[in-house]
Amino acid sequence: MTLPSASLLAQSILSGVFIGALYGLLGLGLSLSWGLLRLINLAHFAFAFLAAYLCYQLSTQGMDPLMTLVIIVPAFFAMGALLHALMARFAITPFNSLLVTFGLTGIVEAIIQAIWTADFRKLESSYGEHRWKVAGLYVPLPELLTLLLAVGLSFAVWAVLRYTDIGKALRASAEDAPIAAAFGIHERRNSLLLAGTCSALAGVAGLCLALGFTLAPSQIYAWVGVVFAAVMLGGLGRALAPLIAGIVIGVSEAVTMAVTAPSWAPLVSFTLLIAILLFRPGRAA
Amino acid sequence: MTGTLKLLTQRTPLAILGAAIALAFVPSLGLPAFYDSLLYLILHWIVLATSWNILSGYTGYFSFGHGAFFGAGLYTSATLMSKWNWPFLWTLPAAALVACVLGVVVGAIVFRVKGIRGEVFALLTLAVTFVLGTVIVNTPIDGGNGVSLAAVEVPKIGPTPSSTFYLLALAAAAVTLLVAWAISASKLGAGLFAIHDDEDAAEVMGVPTYRYKLVALAISCALAGVAGGIHALFLNYVTVGEVFTITVPLTVVLMSILGGSRHWAGPAIGAVAITLLLYSFTAANYAVAGKAMVGVVLIAAILFMPEGILPRVQRAWARRRGAAVSAVGAAKAAPVPAATAAAAAGSQASSSSGSGGAAAASVSAGSPAPSGGDALPTGAVLLKARGLAKHFRGVKALAGVDVEVRRGEILGLLGPNGSGKSTFINVVSGHYVPTGGSVVFEGQELAGSAAHRIARAGISRTYQIPRPFGHQTVLDNVALAAMFGGGLPNPEVARRESMTWLAFAGLEGKAHVLPDELNLHERKFLELARALASRPRLVLLDEVLCGLTPAEIDDAVALVRRIRDQGATVVFVEHVMRAVMALTDRVVVFDHGELLAEGPAAEVMQRPEVMEAYLGQAHAPLGGAEPSAAPASSQGGAAATADATGTARPPGAPSSGLEPRHA
Amino acid sequence: MLEVQNLQVAYGAAPALWGVTFELRERELLCVVGPNGAGKTTLINTLAGVLRAKAGRMVFEGRDITALPAHRFCEAGIALVPEGRRLFGSMSVLENLEIGSILPAAKAKRAETLAMVLALFPALKEKLGQAAGELSGGQQQMVAIGRALMARPRLLLLDEPSLGLSPLIVTELFGAIQRVHREGTAVLLVEQNVATALRVADRAYVLEEGRMVAEGTPDELMQRDEIRRAYLGV
Repeated sequence: MTLPSASLLAQSILSGVFIGALYGLLGLGLSLSWGLLRLINLAHFAFAFLAAYLCYQLSTQGMDPLMTLVIIVPAFFAMGALLHALMARFAITPFNSLLVTFGLTGIVEAIIQAIWTADFRKLESSYGEHRWKVAGLYVPLPELLTLLLAVGLSFAVWAVLRYTDIGKALRASAEDAPIAAAFGIHERRNSLLLAGTCSALAGVAGLCLALGFTLAPSQIYAWVGVVFAAVMLGGLGRALAPLIAGIVIGVSEAVTMAVTAPSWAPLVSFTLLIAILLFRPGRAA
Repeated sequence: MTGTLKLLTQRTPLAILGAAIALAFVPSLGLPAFYDSLLYLILHWIVLATSWNILSGYTGYFSFGHGAFFGAGLYTSATLMSKWNWPFLWTLPAAALVACVLGVVVGAIVFRVKGIRGEVFALLTLAVTFVLGTVIVNTPIDGGNGVSLAAVEVPKIGPTPSSTFYLLALAAAAVTLLVAWAISASKLGAGLFAIHDDEDAAEVMGVPTYRYKLVALAISCALAGVAGGIHALFLNYVTVGEVFTITVPLTVVLMSILGGSRHWAGPAIGAVAITLLLYSFTAANYAVAGKAMVGVVLIAAILFMPEGILPRVQRAWARRRGAAVSAVGAAKAAPVPAATAAAAAGSQASSSSGSGGAAAASVSAGSPAPSGGDALPTGAVLLKARGLAKHFRGVKALAGVDVEVRRGEILGLLGPNGSGKSTFINVVSGHYVPTGGSVVFEGQELAGSAAHRIARAGISRTYQIPRPFGHQTVLDNVALAAMFGGGLPNPEVARRESMTWLAFAGLEGKAHVLPDELNLHERKFLELARALASRPRLVLLDEVLCGLTPAEIDDAVALVRRIRDQGATVVFVEHVMRAVMALTDRVVVFDHGELLAEGPAAEVMQRPEVMEAYLGQAHAPLGGAEPSAAPASSQGGAAATADATGTARPPGAPSSGLEPRHA
Repeated sequence: MLEVQNLQVAYGAAPALWGVTFELRERELLCVVGPNGAGKTTLINTLAGVLRAKAGRMVFEGRDITALPAHRFCEAGIALVPEGRRLFGSMSVLENLEIGSILPAAKAKRAETLAMVLALFPALKEKLGQAAGELSGGQQQMVAIGRALMARPRLLLLDEPSLGLSPLIVTELFGAIQRVHREGTAVLLVEQNVATALRVADRAYVLEEGRMVAEGTPDELMQRDEIRRAYLGV
């Protein structure tokens, strides 16, 4: 263990914030789906990667990466709603949804590999070239974009859940669907909207993945554990919690890496996950 | 029927051993090494999937941590071989031991925490896998470079090295299958399956759930550890990334679900199917499509065949043999005297509610042996609750009650909804842990004991909404109580005795049926039979009559009387007043978690405070609990209203807060 | 106003209502009394759309609502105060009330209705921001009734509102129910607490084991054997 210099530590913390924001963005869709729809969507990660690959593909054909959202967001929204409509016909328990979406992940992974092969792909764009120096710390553009998107979307979702009718309707349905229906809440329609939104959020996360990381189908699973940790640390069905939890985890990982070695980093998130599950299992219910 | 069962159960281990011996000759066929490897893989997955199923399939605690235990075994072997030059075969028991200990440590902690089930348990065990993997990769055990076993000598068990692995895996698979089968046919297995269906009810019936889960986990891990040890040398070069991942547990889950996770052979079938499927795709260079195929299979299995292939096959087979089996069963099953058998025929002829006749008949003819029957004389205090309290997040469901139950009596527990009656039963039976107070039963302090200990001590209960174990037959439901509450040693003995209890309750014709084919009346009687099978000295009945038709209520009342006549003491919660009047020696009335009144039913129900509790409103503001002041329609004022010709209070009489109606 | 003919409802496999026929007249406060297990909650839940009838007909204000999907009942003018309150415990009292008025017609008058509800239950004024699950039983019942009133229903369904509550609170609640009724809302009240229920009812039915066995004004019923039988089996 070597204690790093102050500036190195500060830079580590900053990169921890950036990666934590991505954990939070990925976790947002997952948390909403689990908390409000009672579906544990393991395929969320595969969808994010699919979006990342699409973004990569479109940008190699000349489109600006951010512009790809114009295509990706509606497409993924539709896909998510459609998938939910299909799944809703079979009343699946949350646990079984975990298994079904695992199967789905395998399928999507296979599709990705079939189209783009198992080779690593990196999106080269002008975004990667920009970075600023703020107070002695480097702030690269892709990471900054990720942070802004994560924060912006988390707050937007939070506001919708808190202040709008549909947000309240979703929360009510999640808590007691038959009684919510007795007051006129159209659960089916609302959950389709929510499922579509979660998918669209995966799409946006995909863009962030493409901007900052090298893509490979095998990488899908690398994110599962740490994002689940963020979701459970924050509590299900909440909008700001995954972001905060994600940043906490990201920073802890980064500090651990700076102080010891990168390979120790997963220990942080998983030990946290175990601790939460042991001491507050009720949060997952 | 029992004779046939015995034969079948001995055939299975013989079949497994026979198949294993036969397959042991495969290497001598001189097939290319490729076959050895493929067969090895199939057997390897059979071991992994079957061992996983012993905990997860049987109890429903789906673990995603099988990779951790497999990996622990694998790395134990690898380390022992590469660092300390242990001979390969000796590392296998060590691998099993390490994996087993790891499992027990994890289980001892995790199973203690209430509420860790389902997806929480799955994620927790998955996290353990990643933690273990990270630790191993960063310490000298692996160090990030993997462990090379190229220098280790492969023992010569078969003609070629690859056949050695095949034979070892074959042995491991045979052992695993035998263990899985033995458990499923044993008392341990019955307990595990009960935990799967309803863990809380199982605990209350006497199953030591914590211990059993730990045992199943330990066995499961040990077997996975052996598989890991063998696999280490097979791979020759081991890395963390291959083992401590999400793919091992998920593959194992898929195989078990596909084949059928409640059956000992289900995972093996799934393992064979999936391994062959994947292999065929890889061989044809469609590995990627193979992965997608597996995904499709998993989805299809969960959506359309959540119970797996095997149960479906079994059901189809059973249906064909169905008519023959049940006729044989009905004739041979009852070791009860002729009168009851005739009554059984009678109750089969009439449909659901005709057991009144049968019940009456079997009173005289051999009723089951009395369940009470030791030192305490009738009338002595059997159970004494002192200051018993139960709080739920600020709500005082029980606010410190003192209740005495005397041996041989039928005690009624009354009170309006929400008064704490059911909570009292839940606390005494151990379903809830009391917040305060004591419960002394036959001189033994029981408050705070685990529910299964309370069941063994001689207290049993029924649930207001019946909670049978849905995947087990009616007979097995009762047998479970006989084994765990009643202490019988194994399922065969328990089943024989349970038939008498079923006959007592008039259900012997439905012994081999699943609970969801019973109507409400029959399910309530199943609850009763189950409560009696453990030969309790105190039976707690929670609203047994709720939802029954008047004729069914008469049957139930007669049955409760016979339960007492046999020697058990009965406490029952009821709202149906005529049953309370007819059955009880004494009643206690609860209100808002406190004891309101106690004494003979007819007298207690006339007391003003009791009538007020039921009616919810003070009537005549002062003095006389005059029957005419209480409308004939009061729930509580039974005897009193017999003479009141129901002169109702005039409307507009003063009462706090409510305005007179305008008629 | 509401006509129910031969309603048959099954609860899972077990049938709970065996052909229930009754009517609720315009602006009436109708009570259905009966012992535990009689089917009262099943009846109310079917009238609110929470349960589906196996057979029979329900006609509300001339419209056949038997086959209406669950979320259209509120729109039709029927609001439910469920047994055991069933509030959205993690949401605030105010949010619970808002959910009651989430449909457009009710939402337009939300402020006005809210004022009315708070006038009816002044104790809730300071609890608006609190999570509904933290309130006492009596306060929760007030919120549950308020939530239903926020929908501005023409028929209010109450399922055992006195359950688990002390006599004092029950009196208060029933007073409020009376006031609501006098303002013009029809009320169908299902209760085990016979005396209090009959005190406020215009008319009542007795439900026993899934069937209507008696009907009349409270005075008439008190004199009849059916009630004694239903409760005492004598």
